Amino acid sequence: MNALLDRYASDELVLRDPSDGRTLAQRLTKRYAARITGAFVVPGREGSFATLPDDLPPALAQALRSRGIDQLYSHQAEAWTATQSGAHVAIVTPTASGKSLCYTLPVITAAMTQHAKALYLFPTKALAQDQVAELLALNQAGNLGVKAFTFDGDTPGDARQAIRLHGDIVVSNPDMLHQAILPHHTKWAQFFENLRYVVIDEVHTYRGVFGSHVANVIRRLKRVCAFYGVAPQFILCSATIGNPKEHAEALIEDAVAAITESGAPTGDKHVLLWNPPVVNPDLGLRASARSQTNRIARLAIKSGMKTLVFAQSRTMVEVLTKYLKDVFDSDPRKPARIRAYRGGYLPKERRAAEREMRAGTIDGIVSTSALELGVDIGSLDVVVLNGYPGSVAATWQRFGRAGRRQQSALGVLVASSDPLDQYLVRHPEFFQGASPEHARIQPDQPLILLDHIRCAAFELPFIGDEMFGTEVATPWLDVLGEEGVLHREGDRWEWIADSYPAIVVSLRSVADGNFVVVDRTNGRQTIIAEVDYTAAPVTLYEGAIHMIQSVPYQVECLDWEGRKAYVTRTHVDYYTDAIDYTKLKVLDCFDTSNAGCGQAHHGEVHVVRRVPGYKKIRFYSHENIGFGQVNLPDQELHTTAVWWQLAQVVLDAAFEDRHQALDGFLGAAYALHIVATVAVMAEARDLQKSVGSGDGAWFVSADVTGRGQIRGTDGQPATLALDAPFTPTVYLYDAFPGGIGQSEPLFNRREDLVAQSMTLIERCDCRGGCPGCVGPVLAADEDAATTPKALALRVLALLVAL
Amino acid sequence: MQGVTQRAPPSDRMVPGVEIAPGLFLTEALMDWGRPSPLIDTSFARWEAPVAHQRLLHFDTETTGLAGGTGTRAWMIGAADWLADGRFRLRQLTMTTMGAESAMLQTFARWLQSDTVLVSYNGKCYDSPLLKTRYRLARLPDPLTGLGHLDLLHPVRRHWKGVWENCRLATAERELLGVVREYDLPGSEAPAAWLSYLRGGSALNLRRVLAHNAQDLKSVAGVLLHMASLAASPCGDTKSCFDRPRIDVVCDCPNR
Repeated sequence: MNALLDRYASDELVLRDPSDGRTLAQRLTKRYAARITGAFVVPGREGSFATLPDDLPPALAQALRSRGIDQLYSHQAEAWTATQSGAHVAIVTPTASGKSLCYTLPVITAAMTQHAKALYLFPTKALAQDQVAELLALNQAGNLGVKAFTFDGDTPGDARQAIRLHGDIVVSNPDMLHQAILPHHTKWAQFFENLRYVVIDEVHTYRGVFGSHVANVIRRLKRVCAFYGVAPQFILCSATIGNPKEHAEALIEDAVAAITESGAPTGDKHVLLWNPPVVNPDLGLRASARSQTNRIARLAIKSGMKTLVFAQSRTMVEVLTKYLKDVFDSDPRKPARIRAYRGGYLPKERRAAEREMRAGTIDGIVSTSALELGVDIGSLDVVVLNGYPGSVAATWQRFGRAGRRQQSALGVLVASSDPLDQYLVRHPEFFQGASPEHARIQPDQPLILLDHIRCAAFELPFIGDEMFGTEVATPWLDVLGEEGVLHREGDRWEWIADSYPAIVVSLRSVADGNFVVVDRTNGRQTIIAEVDYTAAPVTLYEGAIHMIQSVPYQVECLDWEGRKAYVTRTHVDYYTDAIDYTKLKVLDCFDTSNAGCGQAHHGEVHVVRRVPGYKKIRFYSHENIGFGQVNLPDQELHTTAVWWQLAQVVLDAAFEDRHQALDGFLGAAYALHIVATVAVMAEARDLQKSVGSGDGAWFVSADVTGRGQIRGTDGQPATLALDAPFTPTVYLYDAFPGGIGQSEPLFNRREDLVAQSMTLIERCDCRGGCPGCVGPVLAADEDAATTPKALALRVLALLVAL
Repeated sequence: MQGVTQRAPPSDRMVPGVEIAPGLFLTEALMDWGRPSPLIDTSFARWEAPVAHQRLLHFDTETTGLAGGTGTRAWMIGAADWLADGRFRLRQLTMTTMGAESAMLQTFARWLQSDTVLVSYNGKCYDSPLLKTRYRLARLPDPLTGLGHLDLLHPVRRHWKGVWENCRLATAERELLGVVREYDLPGSEAPAAWLSYLRGGSALNLRRVLAHNAQDLKSVAGVLLHMASLAASPCGDTKSCFDRPRIDVVCDCPNR
């Protein structure tokens, strides 16, 4: 009933005449002022054009003209000039600005005039197929005789030989290059001998662990190319990130000429940050993002605007599609106006959706991140994000989907209850002013480096003091020699083992692999979810209630070695909460500095994570109704961390008792973790937090009410002797073995992080603490001076720079 | 070395043959094996013209493993052919250092003429691509591409798939030639045998691999003659009308 009322209520906002983003933004701002936490405009710009270059082969110029391309955008012309000068080039322009022509022109020209070959790398198979379709269309239009093929896991064995010998342009992905092409490079000898260009698109996706792997795959590619006597020219493309040139240079370890000014015309872009209304102030609960997204999309479509909704999961795509279809596609005799687009659909289905979008017969499309990358779907008026995509850069990439040449467009970010989302919408100035995040890679991360030196040694023997990337490989080769996979003879290290190392090195995940959740209800055997390795011990223990889209399943059996959890559908009135503790021990301190009355440090730590048991907690009342034992191996990790400490005397003066201080540390850790995750463009799971004693003697975890509980090294609740030393410490650590380079930038920004955490907490609307600031808090009837919020602020104030 | 492998007494480091280049050993033996007719009927492989027996070169490699790719190498190449007088010549190249690989590949290349027809058992999918990779990595011209290649695995499969338990060479030689091996080192042990020698261990198993390889080559030649006679036979019933050549029990024991 509420939904129905809502539908009518909002109808008054529907724009009667076909309109633009500006008008819709104004109406929304007027009607929902309280929900809009930020509004700003990104001004559009005129297009900047250039004539087709004179030195293009005439047949290619003709093919372009017959495809309706009579002139180039200025950045495309710049890219032509830069590539012809022989430089490595990075092109950084917004979505749908015609990036692919920047590399298509030099590549096809070289293929036509010199029989030169090109290797394209895309992060996904769908993008690779799109690219080949585009190349084939151009080739056909001008009868250019250039052969382009995709080469991926789906390529049939009998086609592979032909592609290796006859492909002018081979379109693949980093994983195939790593596992199939480089370890068999002799079969590709002709291809490598003539390789002139390597095109790497969407390089902003190659960051963190994945990017560090890819950088090493590029090192191996260059090494194999050198064997065949070639040094191909790299052309890289990126969506907008904070450090495109630096990132491109880090990936290929060479200087690049960066082209960052787009010549494609755009209209103004209006951006709204939208926070759903609070429905329970005590708990800090807000209305769902889903309902708000639905409302905004409905309004936009009714106002005659082409609308794209981004959702974070495939399920959410389906839910939102259904809601919109209920409104707009109720008459089955008419062609559908709403479509869903996501991974898991057949390519044919996706192509059809793209075609219909381009043709303009679809009014609303709901998608996962699948549409964030360069799939061509024509122009749109409105983009609604159901939840923050996790980075400023990705947010702008998605907003970039909206925009026409003449008309203003609208982008709305609807915040979910996730702490990061809440942080973002409550800090519109952060979002508006933020340059997009820097993409970081750490190609010399020891574990990753060793994996790729291993693969490289398989591909070609190492000789003498050969460098791999920036380091001499010899010490690593000694390690591999001791392991018995390499044999040293004179100055050559030869692969000797009967194994194929690339097969056990995955570029996309940490070494330990994901768990799959298998539903066995009524004899089924269906995989219903995947859980990453770090989350598995706290979510998939036997007895756990595992919620998938709020449907409860019980874990019956966990096959730790096989990485499988077997679950059945269940009906219970409780959920389970793992008693999870992390114990850290500092191994080495690299750097220390004063932080207010305390100190901040950066160094190496040993992390032990254990799940001794779990609690059963009843829904709504949150009573603790039982315990269960968990028997899982400890997770151990050597990694890097940044940590803050306050001395005992300082704490004794500032807090009534130690317990208060601990509550403060827990809340501070929660806020610091949110702020730090935003600061380093980390995936939330790649950066973890912990509170414990500086000497590793005890640690603190939040209990059911959100208050701190000291636990001893065995994980059991403990109390500190009054005379025991007391140096509570908050740690933020890299959740990847050996660290992936997040803690050093955090240490460098330590003062900023503390200050921003304070702002985050101060500005939060909740009373005593909520998932948006210091973590969930139950008790609401406290003295204001001792709420977890106030205590966390007290800790942070002691750490803030004087 | 480093206590990994026990250093063997010097006598046990004996690799058969003559060291024709640093680290590269060649064995050569002449024997009577099979009585090839001057022209071998190759219609069983759907080749129209028969092949003069001197043109045939049977070959088989021993490698460092089955993983494939650029990291797998052949450390031994065995090759056998019939001379003009009908005698069977069996040659084996064994490298005892990594550095000898180029010399081994070059020597093998000299054994191949432009009209040589290779004969192997699964060589099209395994030995030949592996050697091509090694030639490429050694920056040597690849002498194999362009040569005729009779891979006996496929015709054997066409005839006896579903009849025998499997179509491996060991099965084919037992069924068709009556070969029974004793003291044979299975092919799967070859990588370990070489690796252990390379690291300073005993050559005993290396010699056993050589013996195993020699028998493989004789069996390949025997299976070829069998297939050829099969094709020439007017009768379709392979079992009853073929006079199976009896071969004495082969003993590969090096101690006798």
